[in-house]
Amino acid sequence: MSLEVNQLCKSFGSRVAVDHLSFSMDQPGVFGLIGTNGAGKTTTIRMILGILRADQGDAKWNGKRITRETVKFGYMPEERGIYAKSKVLEQLIYFGMLRGMRRDEAKKSALSYMKRLNILEYQDMLAEKLSKGNQQKVQLISTLIHDPTLIFLDEPFSGLDPVNAESLRKLIGELTDEGKYIVMSSHQMSIVEEYCEELVILDRGKTLLSGNLREIKAGYGHTNLVVSAEEDLGVLADECGLKLVERHADESEYRITGDEMAQRFLSQMIADGIYPVKYEITEPSLHEIFLEKVGDQQ
Amino acid sequence: MKQIMTVFRFTFLDAVRKKAFVISTIIICAVVLLLSLAPRVIGLFAGESTDSSAAEEVQEDRSATCYVINETPYLQGAADALTQAASETLFLEGSMDEMEEYQNMMKDDVDLSVILIEERDAKPFVTIYSKDFMSGVSSSSVMEVLDTVYTSEQLTARGMTQEEAMQALAPLSYEETMVGEMDISGYVLGIVITMVLFFAIYYYGYGVAMSVATEKASRVMETLVVSAKPSRILLGKALAMGALGFVQLAGILLFGGICYKVFVPADFLLNGVAISLDSFTVPVMLSVIAYFLLGYCLYAMMDAACGASVSKMEDVNSAMMPVMMLTIISFYLGYFSIIGTSENGALQTFALYFPFSSPFIVPSRLLQGAMEPSQVVISLIILAVSVVVVAIIGMRIYSASVYQYGKRQKVTQLFKMGKDVD
Repeated sequence: MSLEVNQLCKSFGSRVAVDHLSFSMDQPGVFGLIGTNGAGKTTTIRMILGILRADQGDAKWNGKRITRETVKFGYMPEERGIYAKSKVLEQLIYFGMLRGMRRDEAKKSALSYMKRLNILEYQDMLAEKLSKGNQQKVQLISTLIHDPTLIFLDEPFSGLDPVNAESLRKLIGELTDEGKYIVMSSHQMSIVEEYCEELVILDRGKTLLSGNLREIKAGYGHTNLVVSAEEDLGVLADECGLKLVERHADESEYRITGDEMAQRFLSQMIADGIYPVKYEITEPSLHEIFLEKVGDQQ
Repeated sequence: MKQIMTVFRFTFLDAVRKKAFVISTIIICAVVLLLSLAPRVIGLFAGESTDSSAAEEVQEDRSATCYVINETPYLQGAADALTQAASETLFLEGSMDEMEEYQNMMKDDVDLSVILIEERDAKPFVTIYSKDFMSGVSSSSVMEVLDTVYTSEQLTARGMTQEEAMQALAPLSYEETMVGEMDISGYVLGIVITMVLFFAIYYYGYGVAMSVATEKASRVMETLVVSAKPSRILLGKALAMGALGFVQLAGILLFGGICYKVFVPADFLLNGVAISLDSFTVPVMLSVIAYFLLGYCLYAMMDAACGASVSKMEDVNSAMMPVMMLTIISFYLGYFSIIGTSENGALQTFALYFPFSSPFIVPSRLLQGAMEPSQVVISLIILAVSVVVVAIIGMRIYSASVYQYGKRQKVTQLFKMGKDVD
């Protein structure tokens, strides 16, 4: 199975929303669709799902055009929306039936997901009585209830507390293991880094970067040094030409020009009798790559 | 079709369970029950007033006064004759000397009037004084009595006995028989059904707009449109609200019919007119249902497009303003053509076939028995075709609108955008 997006274009009047976007997904996993607000992520998803007509290009699942009827897909939009005045289970059954399920099938599937996400006891409550995090879980179930193979999650972690975020993390892992193809859009780069092997970065409709995350990072080389020591390393780092990227409570991250610079800094630390608790040469984070790419454009 | 039915079922059950629906149904049924009981309650009071002692009290308790100043030898006993004929005014003999005082009193008293009878050309000439055109005695009623008294005097003076004169002046008995199909019950029911259809079409169409706007404002729409085509969602929703309206309306009408049979006396007269439901034949009833459903569909499609065009609930009313204006103008066009023009007037003919007003006028004309079958068929065909055209346009605007948030787009823009969405 594979998802092929080929040269998608869409304009609204004179504004170009998506400009010749191409990417593909040929194995189960999570694909990252990243961009600033107004980058064209939602328009891209709508075109892929076939609910918005592309000016040019197409999106195919297993070589066939994607429509509501031909592919079992799930989409959780960024703006959450459930019926506030309806009971949770009732509306989940409704969403399931809209996706072609029988009533009993929809009920069984809804109850199963509610159990997995620890909200089974809210099945007969009005949705408005639920916390924001639990409402989000209901929204997620409405996306997954019909067991789609292709899933689009737009900012799935926004608004979730650490406990609920962990439940979702676990669920995404399980879905990937079950062979689902997930396209995830998020502003939280750490989450994208955690899940996505492949990604595309969009800015105002244009593709700034696309490909395998590991390869992209490797292309940048070793650019960061994370060091933790009991002594203050600020003066020594300055002397060695390291630029501070970020200072955390227990460690500092510096920009380096290469492995040689990091080695020199380590030698100097030892010569000065400073023994680091942590010393890690890394590639740039996705967050830095994103800022660099989008910043260059803007 | 399956998706349309799924949306239909969910929307219908959701609306039926709402407190607003239950409460409004109970209130309307209570009003229908009270109206049905009204004739019996009125009858109870009417029964008391026929009691002779009560009648005397009323006689003494007349609220208005009229002085009769007679400066002629004619119309002797005019005050007594007038007092007998009128129930609310006490007629007293007055004096010309006090005319100025009467006129001063009349400036502050709306219940005071003066009848001055003078002689002109050897005949009595009557002048009636009152504060303004809204006050005092009815000149036509007064003159009807005085004419009778004068004629009676003249006949007696020419040799007739009092009894012969009274017999000659007694009004003739008569009755009216209509050979056409139009009857007054049908006319009254027609106006009532016009009002009911207007409120039903307006109210349930507004319900569609609110339901659509709620889904859009709460962003449920985003989840729905990836599951089903917007046109199917709209159709399911509109059909559900129409069915809800039909069920509520049919229930209320059925309840009203039962109340009418049980509580309204068979000989009840409304302003002297017997009201019967005989004009509610099966074909008429089916036509009323057809006009309600088609009229509702016509307006619901426009209302839905309006509801989908807003991002916030507070904008719904302003978005619906053009449709509201069209509904009200069409209703008045239908209403005035029922009550105000001749049967084949140009306004009425236009209103019969104009699809936006025909649902408000044709059922009424059918109840009056004033429609040819061919007219009904042509009107229904025009209405049905209009529903299809408006539905296609409405669905296209709706489909484009559901993806638009923020600033409201122009209708023409939305229509163009509609071709890009599936």
